[in-house]
Amino acid sequence: MKNNDQRSSIFWFAVGLAIIFFSRKYGLGTLSVPGPGFLPFLAGVAITGLAILVFFQQYAGNVRGTFSALWAKTHWPKVLMVMGALVLYTLLFRIFGFLLDTFLLIAFLLRVMEPTPWVKCLIGALLFSGASYLIFELWLKAQLPTGFLGF
Amino acid sequence: MDIFGNILLGFQVALEPMNLFFCFIGVLIGTLVGVLPGLGPVAAMSLLLPSTFHVSPVSAVIMLAGIYYGAMYGGSTTSILVNIPGEAASVVTCLEGYQMARKGRAGPALGMAAFGSFFAGTISIIGLMFLAPPLAEMALKFGPPEYFALMLLGLVILTFLAGGSMPKALLMAAFGLFLGLVGMDIMTATPRFTLGFFFLNDGVGLVPAVMGLFGISEVLLNVEAGLKQEVFKTKIKGLLPNLKDWKDSTWPIIRGSVIGFFLGILPGGGAVISSFVSYAVEKKVSPHPEKFGTGVIEGLAGPESANNAATGGAFIPLFTLGLPSNAVMAMLLGALIIYGMQPGPMLIQQHPDLFWGAVTSMYIGNIMLLVLNLPLIGLWVKILKIPYPVLFPLILLFCLIGVYSLNNNVAEIGLMLVFGGLGYLMKKFNYEAAPLVLALVLGPMMENALRQALIMSNGGAGIFFTRPISLVIVLVVITLLILPMLPWVKTKREVVSEMGEED
Repeated sequence: MKNNDQRSSIFWFAVGLAIIFFSRKYGLGTLSVPGPGFLPFLAGVAITGLAILVFFQQYAGNVRGTFSALWAKTHWPKVLMVMGALVLYTLLFRIFGFLLDTFLLIAFLLRVMEPTPWVKCLIGALLFSGASYLIFELWLKAQLPTGFLGF
Repeated sequence: MDIFGNILLGFQVALEPMNLFFCFIGVLIGTLVGVLPGLGPVAAMSLLLPSTFHVSPVSAVIMLAGIYYGAMYGGSTTSILVNIPGEAASVVTCLEGYQMARKGRAGPALGMAAFGSFFAGTISIIGLMFLAPPLAEMALKFGPPEYFALMLLGLVILTFLAGGSMPKALLMAAFGLFLGLVGMDIMTATPRFTLGFFFLNDGVGLVPAVMGLFGISEVLLNVEAGLKQEVFKTKIKGLLPNLKDWKDSTWPIIRGSVIGFFLGILPGGGAVISSFVSYAVEKKVSPHPEKFGTGVIEGLAGPESANNAATGGAFIPLFTLGLPSNAVMAMLLGALIIYGMQPGPMLIQQHPDLFWGAVTSMYIGNIMLLVLNLPLIGLWVKILKIPYPVLFPLILLFCLIGVYSLNNNVAEIGLMLVFGGLGYLMKKFNYEAAPLVLALVLGPMMENALRQALIMSNGGAGIFFTRPISLVIVLVVITLLILPMLPWVKTKREVVSEMGEED
């Protein structure tokens, strides 16, 4: 494959096919009484067709180069760490409660974004999580989860 | 009631202390997100949407609109001082504004940007006042086929103007349309594509999608690129432009305002396109085009006025047809629906206080922005100095709390993260998020209109070609789809796209 547009178009082609397949299950209906799967089916056909077009188009703005070139000279491990932390935060949100979960997340993010001494990270995390708790929970009554610690 | 009576009503509403307060909060937050990188007006609006549920829809719309035009003002500050456009619409401002700052003229550049924006904002509000009501009356003649065709046109224009690969932009629109159809089918009550998640029965939430695509992904890209931060160090003095600056800028401001307003009405990134067009026009009519790029005030005043005028124009399709013309308006449409309003041609008649109150509040908001932007520039510069390693965790935290507090549902945080990852990859592979968001909002409306049209015609697709208004719209859609295949249009679009990438 010559460029990353072609690589991404394969993904969209598969997505389009999956949508077509499942829309048929919901029922396409008839033209006079379209069923629940009718417009999703058309959207799936459009996605598949356009993915084919993207694959074959010769375009000056094609994202050229290899797949890995997209991440060359970038801090991609940081992206993975931030994303991983956010997923973990979401999973532990109800168990740990807002305050503790947010404290841990912010401390980690401050540390990951730029090498900062742990003490500074912990103080920053304490300030941010405490301030956001005051604003959102106590002032705006956002009903944030309390977790096993009870706050 | 005549138009002046309506304007009076609007001022009565807008000048209520509560509405003045929300207008102020809106423009303040708007300027802030315009100044700060990594958070645009769409993400800011979605962040604040849950907090507006307790106030009246009028106050909420006044605040959300304030965020939009406030961000356009704020975006110019970063463009001029650090050569980083806080907003996509401020990209052109960098070209002349930063050069002026380097020559020690940051003050007049900021001042003229603010004055031009104020004038243009005013012009566009007046245009909105006079154009919207007659257009809304005309729109009453529209039936489901016309509405469907019009929504299709909106999506196609957006992809046509998006720059870059049109098939890729259309692909995003098609995927957005599909996402808009996820959830309970309103006619048969069948849950579609919910993957077993109960919360998806209500459809893919606009707020988690927008926060993921515009908020989380932006932070991820900034983290990946490394957290470089450079703020202009020279002291800013003398914000008032001199007499020559005024003389040079008067016509560019007027031209920019008119260009911006009319391009703003068109669906698809009005503010961005109009600033580029205004810059090109100024360069063309200038007696010294060779000086452009070296800090020429005309090249700053025109585009800055154009992008602000476009914000007023963008409200026209929303208030008259109930159709959003860009991602920000899609957000506002979603908000109106949540507040129980029925956006469309009847909105102005049924809720005159909302329409006229919001429009006149924009006028008041523009005055507030002038006050905020000129004397408080020092404060905005200080905010620019907040270190990114501190700023980005805060943005992420606001996104997390904002999405959760919408329905107190952890699953929606998960959905936002999915869109965050998707948005990050889309930007890496050059796919535009705006058509996706617009189609996501339009999806259920399009499905409704298509079904009604087909039921009306007993299954005949010919209904779109036999009714004159829908026929004209469909022909424009077909033309726009064919145009990019013509060699000279193709080349032009590619050049514009490459320009955008370089910026």
